Amino acid sequence: MKKRLISVLFAATLSLTSVMGLTASAEELRFWNVGAEGNDLAIVEKAIEIYNSTTESGYTIVNEPTQNDAYKEKLVIAMSSGECPDMYTHWSGGPMNEYINSGYAQDVTELFNANGLSDKIVQGGIAQSTYNDSIYAIPYLNVSVSGIYYNKTIFDDLGLAVPTTIGELETVCDTLVENGIIPFALANSTKWTGSMYFMNLAARYGGLEPFAKAVAGEGSFEDECFIWAGEKIVEWVEKGYFPEGVNSLSEDDGQARQLLYTGEAAMSCIGSWYTSTIKSDSEEFFDENMGWFAFPAYEGAEDVDPSILIGTLGDNFISFNCEGEALDAAVEFASIFSTPEMVEFMAECGKIPPTTDAADYITDPVTKTIFEAVQNASAVQLWYDQYLPSAVANAHLDGLQEVFGLTKTPAEAQAMMQAAMEEYNANK
Amino acid sequence: MKENSLQKSRQRETNKVAAVFLAPVMLILVLYVFYPIVNTFQTSLYEWNGISADKIFIGISNWSKLIKDGNFWFAFSNNIKIMILSICIQIPLGLAMATFLDFAGKKTNVFKVIWFIPMLVSSVAIGFLFTYALATKGGMISSISNFFGGPNIDLLGNPSTALYTIIAIIAWQFTPFYMVYCMAAYTNISPEVFEAARIDGATRGQYFWKIALPLLTPSLKSAAILSMVGSLKYFDLIYVMTNGGPGRSTELMATYMYKLSFSEFNMGYGSAVAAGMFLLISVIALFTMKVINGKGED
Repeated sequence: MKKRLISVLFAATLSLTSVMGLTASAEELRFWNVGAEGNDLAIVEKAIEIYNSTTESGYTIVNEPTQNDAYKEKLVIAMSSGECPDMYTHWSGGPMNEYINSGYAQDVTELFNANGLSDKIVQGGIAQSTYNDSIYAIPYLNVSVSGIYYNKTIFDDLGLAVPTTIGELETVCDTLVENGIIPFALANSTKWTGSMYFMNLAARYGGLEPFAKAVAGEGSFEDECFIWAGEKIVEWVEKGYFPEGVNSLSEDDGQARQLLYTGEAAMSCIGSWYTSTIKSDSEEFFDENMGWFAFPAYEGAEDVDPSILIGTLGDNFISFNCEGEALDAAVEFASIFSTPEMVEFMAECGKIPPTTDAADYITDPVTKTIFEAVQNASAVQLWYDQYLPSAVANAHLDGLQEVFGLTKTPAEAQAMMQAAMEEYNANK
Repeated sequence: MKENSLQKSRQRETNKVAAVFLAPVMLILVLYVFYPIVNTFQTSLYEWNGISADKIFIGISNWSKLIKDGNFWFAFSNNIKIMILSICIQIPLGLAMATFLDFAGKKTNVFKVIWFIPMLVSSVAIGFLFTYALATKGGMISSISNFFGGPNIDLLGNPSTALYTIIAIIAWQFTPFYMVYCMAAYTNISPEVFEAARIDGATRGQYFWKIALPLLTPSLKSAAILSMVGSLKYFDLIYVMTNGGPGRSTELMATYMYKLSFSEFNMGYGSAVAAGMFLLISVIALFTMKVINGKGED
């Protein structure tokens, strides 16, 4: 009897202390994000400072940044234990839909328009924040689209021109291989890095419709554009366009960038965050050597629009888990990121803010080229691995990695992806 | 009568004290071990994405899916490979190192320290260390191969070698643990036994095989169980170095569970995998203990 009493007492004290530790003041809104260091941290802190010193809402924002790697898991655990923050960032796509369906993201369509964001934020960004015709998130901080960074010095030395078609790109690659230079710096143990090539190839061959249809269950991931993309990759691997042991190189450890820096590789198809990544490694190297071009068009597909880009218009997105006045205040805070003062500051930090006026503040020539491509794009497809439900995304990444390793054929990999999609649609 | 009541009150006193001393431990065990296990089994009966408030009860659907899930059984077979190779590599090597240290005496103390170092390094650091050491271009193995005129070798990027490479790294990390384990077991053999054997004319080899090894057997058995359970629930180096790749070639039960639960929003099925792991590991461990302790020892 006594034993039980004591344990009950212990349990009571323990739970009491944990509860006390977690309750925050009601007037504070917690903002979870991945800007744990560098420019990202500075940008968020500046916005919070502006908001906290000028707001009349009676709320203040508390910044709670987390390292990128552990963030997604941390958010899931926080949600499942009822500790979801008032505001949090995510990468849109499948996971965002899960958050919405589970009731952890509020519909902010009205507030979005009331704060005048519909004119300030780029259309594609709003589209990527929308689910079932309602807006659930606000894109901020950066625009990340994939394209090809190339070493201008190497191109000049070998007399190469920027390719406009995939055929020309292959000629460039062949010349590079003949000169002992690896065409593409790719580190694919991370898996999503290889997907950049695949997504672009598939979009150039067949546009975006096959993907949309495959997701809806009307088409298939075994469509010829996906098979073609896979086979192109196999061909490129066999011709030596990628570094040796590509599947054991790690992007997180910067092993692809190292190849660019040492001049062993001449190009890399990657997200536009590379501008600030390379600049923070060596501004001098970037300014002297780096250029950018959008993934070239495919000659065999004349009716496909080559202005289509793959990427995210907002890197990342803020969603809200609060109601009433708190929600008003939170959206008001998120709107600060599209004020001229903040846009200018973000552009200075090497970002491309997802706002319509960003061009006025961008000075870096490479960033300008990228922003022009974004503005001219007829559509921007979100990364497959973000857009798709995670189970399907993992099937895609696992299969594609083996295509790069030549241990699976493109047909096998696509069958695996399609099977995962069908299973997901069947359980929906 | 009086004596009896004294004994009784003494017993009561002991119970009270025991209760007070055991309460904290029990509390922590219940809170962090028993409750989560029960909860995992419970969650495995639901369809749940891990964050939503509504869980849908689906009975044993997750379990029947688990039994038919090729990915899970493939991951299980990888765990079994790690288990068998770990026991076959780590324990004999650890025993050999301990035997060397025991026979050679104090002058080899420096090896004791050096050999123990891998055990002191964190798994994440070891992961990074070996990704670089095994790099295809300029890595250790490739350099050796190049020296003899061979091509570059990509161990971690190749689905047929990745798992074995990691098993070798796990062995590098954990062999020192079994070395220390065997050294501790050696100290339990009294020097008289060694002296008596030597006086009777036994060589060092005979002493090891005929006397020391039988005396060490009980320790080796528990070492084998430890290694077995550790291998079946293994997670960290795989997560750091390959994350289950290339493709799914190095997927383990634990990494599979982690992906399902935290990245694929499938907490219900992830829990079924976790519970399945728990059952498999318990059954294998109990069965093995029964078999190796079968002949009425202990």
